[in-house]
Amino acid sequence: MLKRILLNWTPRYTLLALVGLFTTFPFLWTLSTALGDGGNIYAFPPQMLPTEPTLAHVEEARRVIPLDRFFWNSVWISAWTVFGTLLISSLAGYALAVMKFRGSKWVFLAVLTTLILPSELNFIVNFITVTQLKLTNTHTGVVLPLLANAFGIFLLKQAFEEIPAEILDAARIDGAGEWQLFLRVALPLAMPSLAALGIFTLVATWNAYIWPAVVLQTPDEYPLAVGVLYLSGTFAAKTRVIAAGTVLTILPVLILFLLAQRYFMRGLDGAVK
Amino acid sequence: MKHTLIAAMVGALLASGGAHAEKVKIEFWTMSMKPRFDAYFEDVVKRYEAQNPDVDVVWTDLPWDVIRSKFTAAVAAGQPPALANMNVQWAYDYAVSGAIQPIDALLGKDRGMYTAGALADVTWKGKTYAFPWYNSADIMAVNVTIFKKAGLDPNKPIRNLSEQLKMATQIRQKAGVAGLAPRLGRVESVFLGEGLPVLENGKAVFNSPKHVALLREFATAYKAGALLKDNLFAEDNFQVSIAAYNGGRLGILETTPTALTRVRDDAKDIYAVTLAQPVPPGATGVVKGGWLMDFVVPKGVDAKLLPQVGTFAKFLTNDANQLAFSKATGGTYPSVKQAALDPFFQDVPANAGAVENARAIGARNLENVRTLAILGIDDPAPLLRRLREETEAAVTGRKDPKAAMDAAVTFWNAQLKK
Amino acid sequence: MDKNALTRDVRAYLFLAPALIVLFLFSFWPVGLGALLAFTRVDIFNLAGSQWVGLDNFRTLFDDPVFLGSIRNTLLYLLVVPLIQVAALALAVLVNTQLPAIRLFRTAFFVPVVTSVSVVGIMWGWMYNEDGMLNQVLAWLRLIDAPVGWLSDERFALFSVMFVTFWRGLGYYMVLYLAGLQAMPQEVEEAALLDGANRWQRFWRITVPMLRPTILLCTLLSTLAAMKAFEEVVVMTGGGPIGSTYTLAFYAYDMGFRAFDFSRALAASLVVSLIGFVLAWFNFRFFRPDSR
Repeated sequence: MLKRILLNWTPRYTLLALVGLFTTFPFLWTLSTALGDGGNIYAFPPQMLPTEPTLAHVEEARRVIPLDRFFWNSVWISAWTVFGTLLISSLAGYALAVMKFRGSKWVFLAVLTTLILPSELNFIVNFITVTQLKLTNTHTGVVLPLLANAFGIFLLKQAFEEIPAEILDAARIDGAGEWQLFLRVALPLAMPSLAALGIFTLVATWNAYIWPAVVLQTPDEYPLAVGVLYLSGTFAAKTRVIAAGTVLTILPVLILFLLAQRYFMRGLDGAVK
Repeated sequence: MKHTLIAAMVGALLASGGAHAEKVKIEFWTMSMKPRFDAYFEDVVKRYEAQNPDVDVVWTDLPWDVIRSKFTAAVAAGQPPALANMNVQWAYDYAVSGAIQPIDALLGKDRGMYTAGALADVTWKGKTYAFPWYNSADIMAVNVTIFKKAGLDPNKPIRNLSEQLKMATQIRQKAGVAGLAPRLGRVESVFLGEGLPVLENGKAVFNSPKHVALLREFATAYKAGALLKDNLFAEDNFQVSIAAYNGGRLGILETTPTALTRVRDDAKDIYAVTLAQPVPPGATGVVKGGWLMDFVVPKGVDAKLLPQVGTFAKFLTNDANQLAFSKATGGTYPSVKQAALDPFFQDVPANAGAVENARAIGARNLENVRTLAILGIDDPAPLLRRLREETEAAVTGRKDPKAAMDAAVTFWNAQLKK
Repeated sequence: MDKNALTRDVRAYLFLAPALIVLFLFSFWPVGLGALLAFTRVDIFNLAGSQWVGLDNFRTLFDDPVFLGSIRNTLLYLLVVPLIQVAALALAVLVNTQLPAIRLFRTAFFVPVVTSVSVVGIMWGWMYNEDGMLNQVLAWLRLIDAPVGWLSDERFALFSVMFVTFWRGLGYYMVLYLAGLQAMPQEVEEAALLDGANRWQRFWRITVPMLRPTILLCTLLSTLAAMKAFEEVVVMTGGGPIGSTYTLAFYAYDMGFRAFDFSRALAASLVVSLIGFVLAWFNFRFFRPDSR
């Protein structure tokens, strides 16, 4: 029995572990740099296990910049962006995938076009718009433009299209209105794609640093991705402290990804079983 | 319940705005100063506001990764700061694209407080575009043991590059090690340091007899083994040259005073025989190794506000404040004349090491320190690469220097025409 | 009937309204303006003052050998798309199980998506150095005699950078495929299982056709991403050696944000977009859901 399990699982886990090493080595190096002390950071081959692990650099990063404040700013901005994106994109995606209406092709084409056309000027033009809306230096001003997410609409349109027509028809015959259909049937069935969009939006928002820095005037309002840049200030850069800041930035997203995985599971599971 | 929660969150989101003051507001941006220099800037702001009760000075520090994006967007949206910290290259780019304005009128007769080199760094087509701020400068570290072995006097200042190259050759012949590690990978700044132009009226001009003669001198020295061959034509040979100096394989090291701490910390034996000297000036008296930081005034700053902006900019960069800033950083130089003469730089204890002496020497040389950057090229990378390759061919003797520079100039002018 | 159609339209546009409003303000407007300004001499600090110059910017572009080289490089870059899609789909199938600790592995595969591009640059720089890990391993395996200049030899540099794009995208598309796999009705697969189809057959006859919409989405996104790839170039080669890693998007970025020549930057971007439209059209032809 045990032998069979080992035979079955060993190749699979070996493969998984190899791919995992391939994908995580830069993160492991950053982690080891953040936790290590002494020795040459840039030594080759890189040292993956710190000789004298310490939390001193993490503490120094926390002492030097208001990490907690930056962290909560990030949470606030990201939570609103993720929530808003999911709401707006799912409504639009549902309309494009399920509802039949005049002009649907054109709307979809327009959405697709924004994915393709040049976006170099976006941050400048959007900053002008945000200025005119009197939203500079507010988190609203940061969040609002991020909600314009053609990718999200596209992703959820595809997801809703995969829902078998029979399921929707059955619900319609039961007398469900469009809104109920969307809320009770379509959304749960698209849960894996919603989770994917949620996590992508989170990663993009969490890591964005140019746009928030352009909109926000006072460093007190900065999210983590901008705030940690202060660790690499002039005359003061300490690679290990910067690494600690990087790890602290990445870690929350990874933990959330780990936890959010149950939403990647089959949307039907909850309803049927 | 759910609804009220969402309503409350929306309300809070909309409410997070800023308050406005009634006084004249002057906002200035610095680059990557937080959090180490918080106290310094808070003090500067407080003192200025005490002297000028009608002015509200707002200090914003931005990481260097984002300052240009933010500056571009702010100027484009008509919401610029009153002053922004830039380096010479960036200030030049913004001056060309019309995002910043000349400050000659604001400088007025206070122009004289800045060093000539610093002003020249930020003056283009006869107009000055920035208030000079902190700077850096090169010095020369010589290994006394190697000099004595070569029969040279380490205390005698070197007058120019030709003399330096001859000494390097003598070091190779008599002491058996390389004498000098010039930055031939950045030969354009070597040219500029010698007062030889690289571009004139948008055309490459570095194939003149003077340029070629200079390269011949380098070629002769190279042939004699006077130059450190490691990474000689790489863009950056700092790491290998300091390693060679620390290993006793190099007679002269040209670098910043701060970099000498690496000799002190990593190679005690060499540090004990190291003597700091001024770098030989270029033909026009230019001192190499400057990296000027400055404050620009963006386009779109309220014209009525400009005189106040000028007053504040001059306060920010005056002798006292630049001196205090040098003390705070411990590694930078001021760009104003009086501050450089301060005892902080000049009072060196008798038993001081090379690092302290170097700082004093660098400070004495500040008047003519220049930031030697090639400005005004859209896409410098391929041009500089070609120049580097041709320089290598010329100095190593694979190609005649004249032919090499002609080839590079032809390539440059073909590219620049577009 | 007509009234019904009207209510239907109104309802649909109510669903679309929030998206259309933010899209109009923050996507259509800047993107459309950008496309328009590609035909002007752009004054970035006074956009309204930009002068119409017709096709001038494009003429300048097509006279520039670096630009022409970057078209070639961008087309080469597209090779990364099929590779990344096959690998990401395989990875998604591999982790689409309930094995113990599988969530940890999925997270590990997602790490490159979260890692900041500057760290990516440093680490892959080390891998690719002349005395870097890759050359050491290859030399140890006796596959090479002299170190290969992965980033310094113009024959290899572009492919080295493309591999980093592959590495960064793997986890991203894995998540999308995983979502697609999870959304598939289980009954179909169970039926096939009863029919005695083996795993390979089930994959080709059931999984791939059912995943068509996801495959369309992923190939399209990855095609557009490959067309717009520039961050890897910025942190790894800066366009060199000898301009061999200039992609169109890097060219536009370089022109816009280093040289402030937004006229050329936007014109270059518009060329990227045109190629993007053609490729998007091909994508739709190939993976159209109704062709199953």
